Amino acid sequence: MFDKKGQIRIIEAFLAIAVIFSALIFTTITFPSSPNLAKQKSLASFGMQALIKLDLNGTLGKLIAQENWTDIKQSLDISLPIGVSFNLTIYDENLSPINSQVIQNTNLLGRETVSVQHVCASQSQNIQFFILCLQLAWTR
Amino acid sequence: MPASSIDTFLACSVMIILVLSAMVGASELMTPYISGLSHRNDAERFQQLASHLLLSTGTPPNWGQMREPIPSSLGLAKANSFLPYELDIDKVSRLNSENAFSLTYPELWESLGIHDVAFQIEVRTLFELSIDLISNQTQGNETIYEFEVATRKSGMPVSADLSVYVVVKYFVDNVTSSTSSDGVGSFSVNIPNSLNGATLIVVFAKAKANPQMVSFNVYAFGHNSATPFSNRTFLRLSPLNYVLNVSFTYPTTEILKAQVFTFNYNFSLTEEAQGDQTVEYNVPRLLDSSPMIMALTGLNGSSSFAEWVSYPQLPLQVGSDFSKSIAGAKIVSQIHIVTINFALYEVATKWGGTA
Repeated sequence: MFDKKGQIRIIEAFLAIAVIFSALIFTTITFPSSPNLAKQKSLASFGMQALIKLDLNGTLGKLIAQENWTDIKQSLDISLPIGVSFNLTIYDENLSPINSQVIQNTNLLGRETVSVQHVCASQSQNIQFFILCLQLAWTR
Repeated sequence: MPASSIDTFLACSVMIILVLSAMVGASELMTPYISGLSHRNDAERFQQLASHLLLSTGTPPNWGQMREPIPSSLGLAKANSFLPYELDIDKVSRLNSENAFSLTYPELWESLGIHDVAFQIEVRTLFELSIDLISNQTQGNETIYEFEVATRKSGMPVSADLSVYVVVKYFVDNVTSSTSSDGVGSFSVNIPNSLNGATLIVVFAKAKANPQMVSFNVYAFGHNSATPFSNRTFLRLSPLNYVLNVSFTYPTTEILKAQVFTFNYNFSLTEEAQGDQTVEYNVPRLLDSSPMIMALTGLNGSSSFAEWVSYPQLPLQVGSDFSKSIAGAKIVSQIHIVTINFALYEVATKWGGTA
């Protein structure tokens, strides 16, 4: 019943199916999910706000001058919502890290982090400036 | 009809069906992304709205201190403040439905002036404090009550210093204690057995890590008497503009003592005015980084009572109930740390619109 021309066209049709479906599958697999920039921005804004509020009346500068890393960590634990991981590194004017203990709640390795920076000063007679680098990530 | 024509017709039909099904499939696949693109700025818009609410004073700038007017634009920031995210104690108190001068959600929504969003505002302390009565025993002419206190932030322990006040009728006493690194502590109070009636244990907790992080709680029980009635049974307490407005539920109510407590200080309140079933007390402007708790003791016939209110009037939650949101509604939650009278609090705002 079928001649050769017809058979070729059916083969063409099946080839077209294969092309369309492989394109569809490829698109499904490789379509990039857009990064949630708003969520990251909100996290950065929250981190900055936490640092500013903790530094009211020079509290943060005083704790750094006293090398009281435990209280700084506890302050961040209370300020940041549960579900946010953080790591704080404090640098002096020469950009050398000065916190002898790691100030973090959980490890940030492998997480999409945002970083905020804040500058504060000690309130002693010999004024010292500190640069705080706070890295934050949502715990999944 | 030749066989090749039938084959061509079959092949074309198969191709058309497949192309159409591929188009439908692709369209279904792309819809969420296209929809996401049209709403990609919602979260940022809601963030800006939350910042606007907490950074602007509203109109008039002192609307919190006034009893009646509804602000023409809504903002909770303190007027003439040099600090970002410093909120006005009265604007926050007027959000609490327990306050006689509170604004309803429709009034707040109208004042905000953004008609395509629903919102909810929640103001609370940065960490929680719980109080439990462990034991009581009579020794001589006193009863010793022992309490356990836990200070936690979402279940995580917070080490804190405690300031405790005990209030029974005219009797006021203060003890101090602390919670350890596991967030648990205890204290005991001695109350003379010559007294009896509704008793309040007012506890303030100040985080050891930062003295501006303060929490509070109040425990009520009956000393040599039956369990007292719940708070706000006899009085409606509404602090506003450093005046405590008291309205009586029953005309036979008599106030014995009115006190204000903060972490470091306590004072008797002075009566400013008395009306028909209402009393007003002046509240001192204390420079303590702590909320104020105002406690009033009194009698209603033979029933003794002790009632209290915090200033700012917290915790509070006002606005739309998003737990009943329909599927497809887009809700964005924001948390901000704010200052109210030198102490730090947490404001959680939720914003929603249709997707």
